[in-house]
Amino acid sequence: MMENERPMVKITNVHKVFNGKLHVLCGINLEVNKGETVVILGASGSGKSTLLRCINFLEEPTAGTIEVDGIVINAGEDDRTRHNHILDIRKKTGMCFQSFNLFPHMTVLENIIEGPTTVLGQKKKQAVVYAEELLDWVGLTDKRDEHPSRLSGGQQQRVAIARSLAMKPKVMLFDEPTSALDPELVGEVVDVMERLAKEGMTIIAVTHEMHFARDVADRVLIMDGGVWIEEGTPEKIFNNPDHERTRQFLAHIL
Amino acid sequence: MTAKTMQTQATGIPPEAERVLKQIETKQAMYRRKMTIAFAFLIVFMITALIVLGLDFKFMLKWLPFVLAGSGYTFLVAFLAISLACILAVVGALGRLSKNPVFNSIATSYVSLIRGTPLLVQVYMWYLALPQIGKALEGYGIPGIQRILTLPAVPAGILALGVCYGAYMTETVRAGIQSIKIGQTEAAKALGMNATQTMKRVIFPQALRVIIPPVSNEFIAMIKDSSLVSLMGVWELSYRAIKVGRRHFQSLEMLIMVAFIYWIMCIVLQFCQEKIEKRMARGDRRIS
Repeated sequence: MMENERPMVKITNVHKVFNGKLHVLCGINLEVNKGETVVILGASGSGKSTLLRCINFLEEPTAGTIEVDGIVINAGEDDRTRHNHILDIRKKTGMCFQSFNLFPHMTVLENIIEGPTTVLGQKKKQAVVYAEELLDWVGLTDKRDEHPSRLSGGQQQRVAIARSLAMKPKVMLFDEPTSALDPELVGEVVDVMERLAKEGMTIIAVTHEMHFARDVADRVLIMDGGVWIEEGTPEKIFNNPDHERTRQFLAHIL
Repeated sequence: MTAKTMQTQATGIPPEAERVLKQIETKQAMYRRKMTIAFAFLIVFMITALIVLGLDFKFMLKWLPFVLAGSGYTFLVAFLAISLACILAVVGALGRLSKNPVFNSIATSYVSLIRGTPLLVQVYMWYLALPQIGKALEGYGIPGIQRILTLPAVPAGILALGVCYGAYMTETVRAGIQSIKIGQTEAAKALGMNATQTMKRVIFPQALRVIIPPVSNEFIAMIKDSSLVSLMGVWELSYRAIKVGRRHFQSLEMLIMVAFIYWIMCIVLQFCQEKIEKRMARGDRRIS
């Protein structure tokens, strides 16, 4: 297919400077193909979360180009269509946060149908049908009418994934989705992410979950000081890394 | 409710632990009993004080309907003023948080000016000074403006109170909006919501829960400040009570009576506030 030839996400020469001096991203390039699962590793403060947040413009890149499913936005370009393009990119990308960020005043079901009804203008009935499918898929059908505060961290993150998927995104961004979880709850979230990858979702994940990086990812990238220092298949990165920094970093987290 | 959950958990708990649980339960019951007794004492004390003072209850009863007839104005003024204040507060808070320099500066000056001047001066400003402004404007060639700006007492009072409380509540609403964590905004944005949808669907409903107690505070204060419209000769509650008290030289009776009427109104409001807060608390682990 033609679609397959074009990368789903294309990041070209992206820079991000905070407060006029803190240079967090220094000319990042990244292409992610449809259906690919990419894991970004790196020490804290290396800029990996910032990069992820630049993809859906939660952070404005200072320079460079972001392309998601054919929508291209150049940093610093300010025309009338830009705002709509950003909203379009956000509709095509789902994002899961470290702190879940479910809406506490809504039930689980209301959280999931919020995007489709408010943003896409779907009828509530139609949105509920799909939301229930998603709840079943993440294994939380019985929590349908609970408020998020009643759920465990792992359950909350699974609801957050369902909420993102309700928008039928083309790309899923995971920003350290398991870092705030108790160790015994990590598995249930990683399991959902793994099934998502197997069903062909395009995934970009920042995570320290080594099982996911080693066994699920198609490609692993290591970031340090705002640049890529290494890229390759999980086997290569974990067994035979080229770079000394990679070796040090992996020794720390494994 | 706590006692019940404890009991269900108590099955299979060793006897010495059960004794501790029992102790906690009796302690709570004791506390509740003591509270009731203390309140009862206070009420009895108050009633005795009223009797000892030798109040003329017949006189009070005779004038009660006349004074109560003024409560209509009190309610009308307070209700319309608080409605106006709520609208101004939301618009003002959005202005204070806005990145639009015009909108932001107007909202900031509004809050600063109104909070920085006495309500009494503002009331007279709306009632007595506005017609003069109208006259000046008419001099610049806007026909009929003076008549429009010459407000009757009640609308002037409603505007004065509404605009004044709107300024205070602007800050309450702004603080409420800012108390919602940035993650909520980010989650809404990540779903593709625009700024209006984010505010309406995600931020404001959560902020509302935070601002209900302080806004109820304002509402209760407003009920009492509505007596300021008596300055413009409106025959509301306190005006009537003071008038009658002075004429018959029985101010104590009338003042105590009107104080009680205000108190009862505020107790009703407080009750409503608690109901609303309970409703809003859905999904909050600390309460449910």
